[in-house]
Amino acid sequence: MFKTVHHPQILCIVLIAFGAAFFKVTNRPSTALFQPAAGAAQTGNAAPELRTHFASTRQNIHTHAASLAELGDGRIRAFWFAGSREGAQDVEIRSAVFDPARNLWGTELSVANRAGTQQPLLRYVKKLGNPVALRASDGKLWLFYVTVSLGGWAGSSITAITSEDDGETWSPARRLITSPFLNISTLVKGTPFLYGDGTMGLPVYHEFIGKFGELLRISSGGEVMDKQRLSFGKTTLQPVVLIKNPQQALALMRYSGASPKRVIATTTEDAGQHWIAPVKTALANPDAAISGVALPGGRILMALNNAEAGRDDLSLVASADDGATWKTVHQLEDQHGLSPEPADYAKTAADLARASDGGIADATGYARSAQRNKCDAQGCGFEFSYPYLIRARNGDFHLVYTWNRSFIKHVRFSQAWLDRQMKKTNDAELH
Amino acid sequence: MPNFTDLTGLASVAVVGAAAVALLPGIRRFTLYRLAMLQGAVFVLMLIPFSGMPLAAYVRGATGDLSITALVLLWITLLRPWCNCGVNDASRHALLILVALAALALYPMALGAGAFDPYRLGYGDPLFVSALLLAALAAWLRKLTLIALCIAFAALAWAAGWYESGNLWDYLIDPFVTIYALAAVMIRAVRAPSKPASRE
Repeated sequence: MFKTVHHPQILCIVLIAFGAAFFKVTNRPSTALFQPAAGAAQTGNAAPELRTHFASTRQNIHTHAASLAELGDGRIRAFWFAGSREGAQDVEIRSAVFDPARNLWGTELSVANRAGTQQPLLRYVKKLGNPVALRASDGKLWLFYVTVSLGGWAGSSITAITSEDDGETWSPARRLITSPFLNISTLVKGTPFLYGDGTMGLPVYHEFIGKFGELLRISSGGEVMDKQRLSFGKTTLQPVVLIKNPQQALALMRYSGASPKRVIATTTEDAGQHWIAPVKTALANPDAAISGVALPGGRILMALNNAEAGRDDLSLVASADDGATWKTVHQLEDQHGLSPEPADYAKTAADLARASDGGIADATGYARSAQRNKCDAQGCGFEFSYPYLIRARNGDFHLVYTWNRSFIKHVRFSQAWLDRQMKKTNDAELH
Repeated sequence: MPNFTDLTGLASVAVVGAAAVALLPGIRRFTLYRLAMLQGAVFVLMLIPFSGMPLAAYVRGATGDLSITALVLLWITLLRPWCNCGVNDASRHALLILVALAALALYPMALGAGAFDPYRLGYGDPLFVSALLLAALAAWLRKLTLIALCIAFAALAWAAGWYESGNLWDYLIDPFVTIYALAAVMIRAVRAPSKPASRE
């Protein structure tokens, strides 16, 4: 079949193939600048107010990894995963909508499950994980979520579904191809964002052999167009990209390495074409997810577990100097270092649930759920983790996080509240 | 209705199933036509849905889509009995060495071994595509036809959007053809360390 002569036909095939390849190369979109968040309109809550609710309602299940997206009408849609346990086959991606005008969460619904995902993918899917969402410039709502076919989270790939009606109905699932090695080990956690040309930026991370962060650029049609490495090695994951202006951004990452345990940072000056070598910041990090938003004037607001061990506290911290120094603005949760007996744990959890949401009728049910997920033979522990912070177009901030692996808690606060807190903490000790 | 790229991905997995039939014990006693019928049946069976999904989809969930290089090698295996044609040994060996070298360059760095990610080049980097063109032309000039064809078919498939992936690397190599290439190259090196590759 392939004799050792110069077949002109083979040369023709080579030339035709590369003619087509170069046509594709020359027609690929050029690099794009970041699209900074539009200046908030400040039409939100003018009072210095912070309110808390539970976004999820189902009891006695495992609930984790919430994210948010602002819809076209200013309502906030949350997504999270929930099931009998993390990694179980019954885990679903669930969603609910918060109406800021009524200060109420709507009924939670399932938007994706294992069977409904594997059917359109034409691939076996074993379990679902973290979801993140982005409303694109054309109004389409994108939901990217982790799916695993084989093994643990290291075997993850990213699946995407879209909605033309802000999450009421969804398209069939499609797979993003992001890794050359069986397309495994790409996960999402950080907030997606838009480039100036309407393409999407999706911070992702790998957990197979190495642990490192990357940034995917995805076309408005859902194809992966480019990827940029934010870090390398075995210790950084779950990047959060904070856009300062069309050229500059700061990426902060969870750290899973040795002490001192600190949030890892890298920056770009050319819209992500190049990132500097990652460095440790002053922010403590107990190998836990972080979230944040960039504010005008070089200020940054972050939500994180502000300790080197444990996820039993959650703080808002702010920097006024592009992340060089940080101050604690507010401690949202503080059960640091406590490991009470189950009876005491249940009482404290019920008290915390009541304080979190005045609208709940059955705080003991919330406590039982927390006990189910956070008590074992060694004792009980509190967990307030996986924060996801956004700023709405009206200037209000919305934060969701995992409450004892049992519920998704929502914190809404105004710019006026933040200004007051930052003023209060002006004299606070720098980290 | 499945997407075109799902059909191509599932078909590539089904081709593996059909080619694997040739490895079954006692298969050498089959006539060519019986072998072809059996391979065709396996191909079709792998694409028939059971419990809503074809068997190929279960395999694809774990393996992803096969590279064009792997498919070319599989098709050569499938067609060899029919056309009594084979690939000259030097061309095949050179291809396997190239696959092994490419994999050694790609996978460690793509899995986080350094700050540079060669996988990024696969998203249409002009220099990368130019280098592949030069490699294909050099292979053609040196009569390493199999290399020229694998690179050309991979480039063509990538340009046409044959698979879901928009990355040219995924069309050039995959972990399975890499394992095969590494094993074949090492076995050959152990068995005949001083024997030069023969040319037909």
